[in-house]
Amino acid sequence: MIEIERLSKTFRTETGADHAALLDISLSVPQGQFVSILGPSGCGKSTLLYIVGGFVRASSGQVRVAGREVTGPGPDRGPVFQEFALFPWKSVTGNVIYGLLEQGVPRGEAERRVAKLLEAVHLKGYENFYPKELSGGMKQRVAIARTLAYDPAILLMDEPFGALDAHTRTLLQNELLSIWERDRKTVLFVTHSVEEAIFLSDRVFVMTASPGRQKAVIDIELPRPRVRSELLLDRRYQETVVEIERLMENRVE
Amino acid sequence: MRLRGLLSLPGVPPLVSLLALLALWQLAAAVLGIEGLPSASSVLASLPGVLFDLESLAEIGASLERMALGFAIAVATAIPLGLVMGRSRAVAGFFGPLLTLIYPVPKAALMPIIMLWFGVGDFSKVLVIFLGVSLPLVYHSQAGARAVDEKLVWSAMAMGMPARRRVFSIILPSALPEVMLGCRVGIAMALIVMVSSEMIARQSGVGNLLFNSLDMAQYRTVYATILVIGAIGFALDALFERVRRRLTFWAEAREDAVAGGG
Repeated sequence: MIEIERLSKTFRTETGADHAALLDISLSVPQGQFVSILGPSGCGKSTLLYIVGGFVRASSGQVRVAGREVTGPGPDRGPVFQEFALFPWKSVTGNVIYGLLEQGVPRGEAERRVAKLLEAVHLKGYENFYPKELSGGMKQRVAIARTLAYDPAILLMDEPFGALDAHTRTLLQNELLSIWERDRKTVLFVTHSVEEAIFLSDRVFVMTASPGRQKAVIDIELPRPRVRSELLLDRRYQETVVEIERLMENRVE
Repeated sequence: MRLRGLLSLPGVPPLVSLLALLALWQLAAAVLGIEGLPSASSVLASLPGVLFDLESLAEIGASLERMALGFAIAVATAIPLGLVMGRSRAVAGFFGPLLTLIYPVPKAALMPIIMLWFGVGDFSKVLVIFLGVSLPLVYHSQAGARAVDEKLVWSAMAMGMPARRRVFSIILPSALPEVMLGCRVGIAMALIVMVSSEMIARQSGVGNLLFNSLDMAQYRTVYATILVIGAIGFALDALFERVRRRLTFWAEAREDAVAGGG
């Protein structure tokens, strides 16, 4: 359960002026829900995610996770970044096992869990590869496995498929959904793709640009498990895409 | 065609350029015929005299020992300082201007002052080598630490890594390719400062060997000693490159631009 309450963030720019990145954001995400934060680039959606992660401080307002105020990062909230942020000096196994060892899981147990996870994200056989030897899609699979490894209650995904080609992107969206349907973690998913947000989410939080404010919250009542090819023919899906795209179009106020 | 094939073999181009240099030297010495420029062949012939002379071997050994010590102390102190400077604006603000001020000063120029304070012995020489190596090491470590992707740090923090372990577990390995470039510059600096400090505080070492021969007008030995110093530098660099490649094989390829200067 994530409760975001009247959150604002102001940055001091290089020229010394104050720039409001986020203004008065309130959002509550029940446990097990998949919520996308959708908005044009520069709307502060990633900043919102970083504040929930405890990586960036809010200027005002607060975030509570499981009833406790967020004051810093913690293993209950696992981030996945667009740029993968893998440790380049560690192998695939080394990356995925890192958080487990950091959490004090005994090595033997940790190794078993890593092997299982790598199988789940289709990276069996790549255990000893280094990040520079992997494609973007494989790097993001490693990053997702690394975050899932320490079993956070909440996944914070910052445009995780934004740097991937269309084919890999679709592939990973499906894999993410099948993983999510198994363990139903709470997910905050930042994206600027309307289709991606609708395909994945229970709810879409639409933001305006600069300063980032709430524009609309749309419930996505499409049945699960979702199959892309079926959704594309589904009228409700099509109507939701159009509805949200119209919302995003008239963002210039 | 055959010549081009031969030239593309590894090790052949440097050998050719080396031989060309020696030939040019030989020719220049013959044409000019001055006492201060002995022929390449006579210098090469006197190399064994330097290399297999127990006394000069001991001098070279003493030099290398001081160099290794100065380098090791610099690695142990300058790398952590640079890394912390790269991560903390306050620490960088404190040490930065000071280091920028000392950076362009030739370290050997400090030797007279250091000698006044600490004498002409090993301590002064190790100290000046340490100073010479420290600055490029601090500089490169700081640049490396500053360039660390914030999201690597965030990922580690989310895993529960405590802040006190961050510098050695995340910042150091991330910055290692850059730190190793600093070390490479540092080795060259150590060699330069080592020789020049011994030329000023003439008590022992390769620099002393060099100037004693010069005083006694043994020009062949002077040149042979310079060749030995060059060879030591070459060997140390080649050795270090192997270590560097082994430690940072995982890094994305980058231009190994190394700035030197003494």
